[in-house]
Amino acid sequence: MTDLLPVTALGDSAPRSETFGPLSLSENAGLALASLALRRGQAAPAPFGLALPDVARAVTSGALGAFWTGRGQWMIEAGGKAESDFAAALEAEAPGCSVTEQTDGFVAFEVVSEAGAARLEALMSKLVNIDPKTLGPGCCTRTGLEHMTVFLVRRSETRLAVIGMRSLAGSLWHALSQAARRLEN
Amino acid sequence: MTFSGFKVIKEALTGYKGWGPLWRNPVPKPSYDIVIIGGGGHGLATAYYLAKRYGQANVAVLEKGWIGSGNAGRNTTIIRSNYLLPGNQPFYELSMKLWETLEQDTNFNSMVSQRGIINLIHSDGQRDAYRRRGNSMMISGAGARLLGRDELRQMVPFLNFDNARFPIKGGLMQERAGTARHDGVVWGYARGADRRGVDIIQNCEVTGFRIENGAVQGVETTRGFIGAGKVGVSVAGSSGRVMGYAGRRLPIESHALQAFVSEGLKPVIPGVITFGAGHFYVSQSDKGGLVFGGDIDGYNSYAQRGGLPVIEDVLEGGMALMPMIGRARLLRAWGGLVDMSMDGSPIIDRTDIAGLYFNGAWNYGGFKATPAAGLTFAHLLATDTPHETATAFRFDRFNRGYVIDEKGVGAQPNLH
Amino acid sequence: MLIPHPLLGLRDAQEFTYLGDASLLNRPDPATPGAEAAFCDYVFLRDNPAGVHRELWFHEQGDRSWLVVTRNTLTHEILSAELASDVKAGAAQ
Ligand SMILES: Cc1cc2nc3c(=O)[nH]c(=O)nc-3n(C[C@H](O)[C@H](O)[C@H](O)COP(=O)(O)OP(=O)(O)OC[C@H]3O[C@@H](n4cnc5c(N)ncnc54)[C@H](O)[C@@H]3O)c2cc1C
Repeated sequence: MTDLLPVTALGDSAPRSETFGPLSLSENAGLALASLALRRGQAAPAPFGLALPDVARAVTSGALGAFWTGRGQWMIEAGGKAESDFAAALEAEAPGCSVTEQTDGFVAFEVVSEAGAARLEALMSKLVNIDPKTLGPGCCTRTGLEHMTVFLVRRSETRLAVIGMRSLAGSLWHALSQAARRLEN
Repeated sequence: MTFSGFKVIKEALTGYKGWGPLWRNPVPKPSYDIVIIGGGGHGLATAYYLAKRYGQANVAVLEKGWIGSGNAGRNTTIIRSNYLLPGNQPFYELSMKLWETLEQDTNFNSMVSQRGIINLIHSDGQRDAYRRRGNSMMISGAGARLLGRDELRQMVPFLNFDNARFPIKGGLMQERAGTARHDGVVWGYARGADRRGVDIIQNCEVTGFRIENGAVQGVETTRGFIGAGKVGVSVAGSSGRVMGYAGRRLPIESHALQAFVSEGLKPVIPGVITFGAGHFYVSQSDKGGLVFGGDIDGYNSYAQRGGLPVIEDVLEGGMALMPMIGRARLLRAWGGLVDMSMDGSPIIDRTDIAGLYFNGAWNYGGFKATPAAGLTFAHLLATDTPHETATAFRFDRFNRGYVIDEKGVGAQPNLH
Repeated sequence: MLIPHPLLGLRDAQEFTYLGDASLLNRPDPATPGAEAAFCDYVFLRDNPAGVHRELWFHEQGDRSWLVVTRNTLTHEILSAELASDVKAGAAQ
């Protein structure tokens, strides 16, 4: 049999990370994603005990999380579960809902600031046309970043997840690292 | 007024006091045989050919502002006959032939300059598509040449041939294409029409039609009622508005299209270059400015100005194609009001109201059509039958399923 | 241009793609007599007004909702934005 080598979305053998002064950027290769959509008239379930959040909000509970993506639609995340069939696990938790595996469609980059929220927000204002004040901790949104569509999940004052299309992982890393590097100078 | 070498020298020596206007400024008569609404290139060319070729001189052109203040004076002046589909290509080739003799015909310097156009190829699929288009151009007599990468590189070495996303693999060239001086076209037709008796009436906005028993009697204007045996509507981006006065809806949306010009530079761009993959096209004016543009803004607009997102998009396209453009300063940017149609192709036809005729739906590309649109619309107005080269441009093609959709995107005007 | 999204607040118009006149929500009934002509009008003809226009925008780089935006095509002033699904549900009642 051919020896197949697993690679990350960026084509590396291990998740990439890099620091730019107080900002660090790292690929979250282990993040599993599955989308959950309600059928018409259906009540929202509480998969894994998560209370599915309201418009533009995100919740977390340990390694699990959920963020709003549209009316009656959420993305459910599970850290470190990318290799498992997370969609199947979610489906068991949300009977009757539409569940679709998304891990292979996306790449997640985690941005962390060691210099408080200001540095993270400075980075955001270089990249997206979203007022950082409207994207506080526990908020999420989807927007355009250098013509690419991304989810932004503000995990805390100093942590932001940028989840974009996997096939554009290189361009997204380039955009984020370039902006972070310029802030350093 | 006429020009001659002697007169130019005489005026230079005597302080330019002897130049007079090129056309009269007449008071509107109570009625005309034919009234044309819209003093753009198309309206004026129509009047010119009506008078010159069809013996109709009791004609008025009504223009709400000054002639050439619409798209005729705002476009990027590209003329070409490199279309694909049967209904279109022979028409644009007729136009190209008329461009080639325009200056002799009007005896006016419209600066028609056949410097060639190159449509860039970035993939094998695109080469196949352009080869097919080239064949269609050859059939209509327009001529076409497929350029390889090396030949192209010799002609335009400054392009970014090795762009990672859109490497340049060649191009389709039409050598007879080029540019013309847009104002010079308007003025040439205006002088020619005026001399043959056509009244060009500026600052005269049409505000309604008088229609009795299903037949048009004339137009209401800001300068009073003007009677007309026949009325030809040729108002480009205002088509929906003006035909709305007659209670008619059109397969048209009005959109904003922007254009840009840089400071004057030494000659660098030989002809016209189009970068379809990046929504960017460029040529260089005789004054040296780089004249360029891209996509329409994408949503209905009557504002005659565009928004910043498209400016950014066009400039990004320019930087991707020819990075040296980043060193040039942008001098001006402006917008025009284009009449985008449901299949991206024009309409030259009668309406269901007797005596009311329509020329429009020129999308972003009606400047090149100016001579042929004028000629064929004049033919229709004078003879009541479509010109043989414009038989495809009928209103009923939508209902009958004979749309002329060059891009194949369907009834979605902002995608054509 | 900023579009006041009913759920998400002011959003950059660049996040949206444009479809056209909101009358596209009112698809003719194919079962009625004269449906063919009605469909031709529906697909091809537009009011194209210079002034207030109700139009469909899709929040593609956003929550993927369709909005009915009321906008002045002369000034680009946006007068209102509603979720198309709400408009449709309201019309059905
Ligand atoms: C930025 C831009 C770039 C373009 N580039 C190219 C190009 O490179 N090549 C090409 O082939 N085409 C190009 N076009 C398209 C081309 O300019 C138009 O299709 C063409 O000029 C339309 O015909 P026209 O000249 O008669 O229009 P216009 O000059 O717009 O004439 C219509 C006239 O009608 C008048 N009018 C409107 N309403 C009324 C009323 N109620 N009463 C009286 N008068 C009225 C207007 O004031 C206007 O003067 C471009 C267009 C734009 C906006």
